[in-house]
Amino acid sequence: MTDSATPSATGDRPVPLVEFHDVTVAYGRRPVLWNVDLVIDAPCLFGIIGPNGAGKSTLLKAALGLVPLVGGTVRFAGVPLARARHTIGYVPQRESVDWDFPVSAFDVVLMGTYGRLGWFRRPGPAERASARDSLARVGLADVADRQIGRLSGGQQQRVFLARALAQEAAIYLLDEPMAGVDARSQEQIFDVLASLRASGRLVVVVHHDLRTAAEWFDRVALIDMRLVAAGPTATVLTPDNLRRTYSGQVELLREVGLAVAERGRTS
Amino acid sequence: MMAGTAGGMHLWAIATASVVAAACALVGTLLVVRRQSLLGDAIGHAVLPGIALAVLAGARPGGVAVFGAAVACALVTVGLVQVLRAVAGLAEDAGAGVVFTSLFAAGVVIVTLGASRIDLDASCVLYGILEMVPFDTVPVGGVEVPRGFVSSAAVLAALVAVAVPTWKLQVFSAFDPDGARAAGVPVAAVTTGLLAATAVATVAGFEVVGAVLVVALLVVPAAAAELLVHRLHRVALLAVAFAVGGAIVGYLLAYRWNTSAGGVIAVVLVAQYVVAALLAPEDGCVAQVAGRVRFAWRVAREDRLAAVWRAMEQRGTPAGPRSALEHLAGWWLRVRGRIVGAASLSAAGRREAEMVVRSHRLWEAWLGRHADLPLDHLHPPAEWVEHHLGEAARRRIEAELEHGRGDPHGREIPPEA
Repeated sequence: MTDSATPSATGDRPVPLVEFHDVTVAYGRRPVLWNVDLVIDAPCLFGIIGPNGAGKSTLLKAALGLVPLVGGTVRFAGVPLARARHTIGYVPQRESVDWDFPVSAFDVVLMGTYGRLGWFRRPGPAERASARDSLARVGLADVADRQIGRLSGGQQQRVFLARALAQEAAIYLLDEPMAGVDARSQEQIFDVLASLRASGRLVVVVHHDLRTAAEWFDRVALIDMRLVAAGPTATVLTPDNLRRTYSGQVELLREVGLAVAERGRTS
Repeated sequence: MMAGTAGGMHLWAIATASVVAAACALVGTLLVVRRQSLLGDAIGHAVLPGIALAVLAGARPGGVAVFGAAVACALVTVGLVQVLRAVAGLAEDAGAGVVFTSLFAAGVVIVTLGASRIDLDASCVLYGILEMVPFDTVPVGGVEVPRGFVSSAAVLAALVAVAVPTWKLQVFSAFDPDGARAAGVPVAAVTTGLLAATAVATVAGFEVVGAVLVVALLVVPAAAAELLVHRLHRVALLAVAFAVGGAIVGYLLAYRWNTSAGGVIAVVLVAQYVVAALLAPEDGCVAQVAGRVRFAWRVAREDRLAAVWRAMEQRGTPAGPRSALEHLAGWWLRVRGRIVGAASLSAAGRREAEMVVRSHRLWEAWLGRHADLPLDHLHPPAEWVEHHLGEAARRRIEAELEHGRGDPHGREIPPEA
């Protein structure tokens, strides 16, 4: 990644790892996320916090091109998604996957290596070794051959984390990795995320639990259909900001969104 | 021209059926694990107008043009379903139902109208003409080989040639489409490829089992295999084995009974599925029933031993068995020497009984402490939890209880064996 080391044209500040510029996202015609400007400069544990339906997952999906942008741009270390894909590891929400699917934990982790293999090359010994190492890092080496649906919720989430590890990415985007996960798995997941940060990776986590957010994340963004505040956890998680995020002030945004979707007008 | 002797003809028919079955099972596995089995049904029917029009336009049945027309029809089907959903808000399954029946109906009309001009009749489309396959041959390297075998072998070879290098993309896209897209997998192209492959395999299946039963080849072997193995490549290999086995056995039985080969092949496939559903080692009916019976038997034995142990503790007579099974368990425990005389236990019986009573009283004590329940609410839950607590859990509960060894009723909790 030579780009990340290049100073930007506008000054001597390094190019940010992730930059959302005026990002607006819609499902169909209905905008669900309005004009987000968010810059993450340096490797850290970054939490995206907000109420249900605030558009937290949507923000990640927009960054990954899984939902189209209505407006704005997302750049990774100064380059667009198409050139940065192989540097990003993604852990989707648990609900997006069919857990009865006939794959073993090992098969799922191996999928993390498919991106760098290209379309037609089959995984070889190097990829298998990488998948085994990643499973061991999340403490699941002994259930490698188990069908994914036969693992506990916490183990399933750790398998997905291992898949992201096998990707050997520079930026990790995780969508609610702590949802439906027992306390022990939460600790283990957090330990792995902290070790990623220690090795200079950026870890962005969509998270719903305010209590743990304060102790886990270096920096957070508060989101409720728009960006409320972003920055160091201690300065962002203030009573005032939390009230602005959780008090449903966005009723107007919702109404306008619906009006846009229905080609109508708000009352 | 005919392909050799009567025996040789049967071999060619069986070979053709096997090749087609393998191709359909391979594609069908991917449809089944995507929970899109009925898409195979839809495509199987929707390709008919394409085939009919291609043949009317002068294409040779089983030729490349026919396969091309079928693939086009399959993609049109899927496209129309999406259009119906976007424009009319029709759910995907209902949309598929509308589209494939319309196209199939159009196909039937075209076939019947053009019956005088084309070598394709409605009944052979519906039921297949496996028995006729050996009568239409082409020379391959000096040997007369059935045309149907040549085209379906080409289909199978092409499908395998594509499936092997792109298998990982199919697995990733089917299991986790969002994750695959995020990793740069062209999920839409992978899905379109699968639909095209389904169309090709379906057309190959037409000749053997017909449009209706080709769905059996697509879905049933994969559904059976999925019950038995839990990794996708194994599911695919086992499904192919089931399909080929079903084709061979079905053909032979049909010959013996002098009936439709396509029909009997489908029946054999379903029979395989039923056997798999009954005997699957983990989720099969037999395994599940056996598991329940084993558990009920253990509960009955443990209840009987605990009843005798409690009688010994209170120097009374044991409570009578509460079920026929517990009665049987009491008799069995006497035969095995665990229960001795009217109300006495062997050393082994005593140990076993103590662990049940220990689990029971620990659970009552734990509930009494944590759930704040009145005394009379403690016994019923302990009555079933006592059969589920292991040694580690018992020790954990014991460590948590500070006060002495007594349960909430003031009785002693036996120590760990």
